[in-house]
Amino acid sequence: MPERMSFFIPRESRIHSLNPLTKLTLAFSLIIIAFFCPGLFLPITINFLVLVPLSFLGKVGKEFIQTSIRLLLPLFAFLFVMQSLFYPGGKTELFGIWIFSVTSEGVVFAFRTATRILVMVSSFLLLLLTTHPSALMSDLARRGVPASLSFIITSTLQIIPQMQAKAATIQDAQRSRGLDTGGNLINRIRSLLPLVGPLVFSSLVDVEERAIAIEARAFTLPVEKTSLVEIPDSPAEAILRWFLAAVAIITIGYRIWLSLSSRI
Amino acid sequence: MKLIDSIKRDFNTMTLVMIPVAIAINVVIGQIVSLLKLPVYLDSIGTVLVAAICGPWAGALTGTLSNIIWGLLIDPNAFPWFPVALVIGFVAGWCAVGGLFRAWWKVIIAGILVSLAAAAISSPIQVYLYGGITASGSSFITAFLLQSGRDLMTAVLSTNFLVEPIDKIATCLLAFVSARYLARFPRPENIMGSSSR
Amino acid sequence: MAVIELKNLTYHYPLSETPALQSIDLEVEEGEFLAIVGANGAGKSTLCYTISGFIPHFFKGELAGSVNVAGMDPTKANLGTCVQKVGLVFQNPFNQISGSKFTVYEEIAFGLENLGVDPQEMRERVDEIIRRTRIADLRDRSPYALSGGQQQRVALASILVMKPQILVLDEPTSQLDPIGSQEVFQVIKEMALQGMTIVMAEHKVEWLAEYADRVLALSAGQIIKLGTPQEVFSSSELPKHGVGISRYTQVARRALQENLWLEGRRMPVTLDESIEGFREIIP
Repeated sequence: MPERMSFFIPRESRIHSLNPLTKLTLAFSLIIIAFFCPGLFLPITINFLVLVPLSFLGKVGKEFIQTSIRLLLPLFAFLFVMQSLFYPGGKTELFGIWIFSVTSEGVVFAFRTATRILVMVSSFLLLLLTTHPSALMSDLARRGVPASLSFIITSTLQIIPQMQAKAATIQDAQRSRGLDTGGNLINRIRSLLPLVGPLVFSSLVDVEERAIAIEARAFTLPVEKTSLVEIPDSPAEAILRWFLAAVAIITIGYRIWLSLSSRI
Repeated sequence: MKLIDSIKRDFNTMTLVMIPVAIAINVVIGQIVSLLKLPVYLDSIGTVLVAAICGPWAGALTGTLSNIIWGLLIDPNAFPWFPVALVIGFVAGWCAVGGLFRAWWKVIIAGILVSLAAAAISSPIQVYLYGGITASGSSFITAFLLQSGRDLMTAVLSTNFLVEPIDKIATCLLAFVSARYLARFPRPENIMGSSSR
Repeated sequence: MAVIELKNLTYHYPLSETPALQSIDLEVEEGEFLAIVGANGAGKSTLCYTISGFIPHFFKGELAGSVNVAGMDPTKANLGTCVQKVGLVFQNPFNQISGSKFTVYEEIAFGLENLGVDPQEMRERVDEIIRRTRIADLRDRSPYALSGGQQQRVALASILVMKPQILVLDEPTSQLDPIGSQEVFQVIKEMALQGMTIVMAEHKVEWLAEYADRVLALSAGQIIKLGTPQEVFSSSELPKHGVGISRYTQVARRALQENLWLEGRRMPVTLDESIEGFREIIP
């Protein structure tokens, strides 16, 4: 049946028991700081002195590091090779390979971009590894995000594994009828169409009944909804969130001030 | 008020149930296509489908949420690209309102319009966030254009204008074929043949 | 007192020339268990959707005549109000899962969340209903990881927890295996015995003969017979309209030809009735 469909790892930790919105605010603030503060080594410092320790505090350190390597290594390799060779503002040649020259500007640019992306991906990863998607969504719904939005996201999370299973079934069926899914480009394109058709149709047939089912459960009744799951929150966390938001805003302001004053 | 009415028109319970299915179609087919190593993405079939039968606002929402879900489940790198997915849904939706999803050859025009919008939105993101280079094969074209003296934004834009149409025309055609089997959605007239007008 | 009152009801689906229901007159008393039988396409589901308000709210189309359900006109009330008074459970258990909940317990609470019920009361009501529908052992499982019969009991519980006045069931066991059907029938039987008003479209004639108070036979959108299970299921007209009659009736008819059933004795529709009849002739 369905493979594991979210990054979430259920464990008991200080980070797990934080309110989801606090973790979301933390993620956004760190990303804003990484992208808007000038310092070249700031993003990598944030990653190793804030995010990595927090992930160990959340007892997901190993998964945190493994997943970020898996997600980012190919991109970084590509980024470094391309940027150090082709960065348009590259003047200072470090060394040359055949007709290409590696410039220090290119390397610095690649480093800056890569470390910022690292903070972006890892901040979300920390949130996702320690927060159940439904807890995040019901907390947001409680704070005024429309219920239909949270419904759409949580039901998508459940539909995807089912559809993956369905796709695998269809692929097996097509293969047993002798359809070639490997080989050259034409073959691979040909193998796609008999998959897409059945998959899309079979999923859409049920849509009407499912709409009736959620109507029957009073989903569109215009009253204020309540929530079965109570999500932990505390005044201290609320203060922390306001503080993080303030830091993020100050960072953006500082950056704007910097770029304005440099133009004068 | 006209804007709110236009948005409201897109959303009934069918839309609400349709969007998760559409996002799942995006994700599952997108994954299969990337496994098959085809030179296209085809990760917006669901978005275009919703845009055509439910409307531009529903399409924009489907696109945005697809990227959020992709980020939540598979790769957080997908988050910053959500404006591209949003615009794909939005533009495809207005194409459908304008009647471009009523015949297959008109759908090709819709595909071209969608790809132009997608390229225009994705290029700045690619330049400012990733320095113009992403881990996809088309970055070689960008690098080539850079070498031949173009500035970064021009190089990225030209690459995307070259690459996007194939993917988006294929996406729109596949969505068009699927859409003909559905009824009871907010804008059924968008996909009916001109005879039923 | 009648809780469902349909007068001269005729309904067309959108773009359809032929009526799906035609000149239906029907009254259902409070606490009554009404069964609807008929061939596929006879209008059973359409009637279920009309009583529960999905016609015309969801399906649109043209509705003529008057409808009164639980003291309201469902065509005028909004759908959210209708579903609080009339609960609907239909065939496919899989499609009745809301999809937005990760456990059976949360799934059942979904309707109560939408009604704005206080969390404390919500827990009490969910606890009670999972006990009554015998799914307490499934409470922490994912609703998608259950068998069809289990899913259908979750669907039933999810509707019953909202305390509707009337329960409408549209062939709730037609997609289940025998064991799953048995489990679902057991829950419905208990609801009927507790005095809930139930309208149920179903094919399993023998079961209906045992528990339904009255049976309505439909064909091509029209009522062809309405009466006690005894009257309807022994009727010789039913097979002409593609409706199965009771197996016990079939046996007794054959027995009559072979002189094994008393001339003039009414046709049996349940096991008990047929045993009684055979006792009279075979000492």
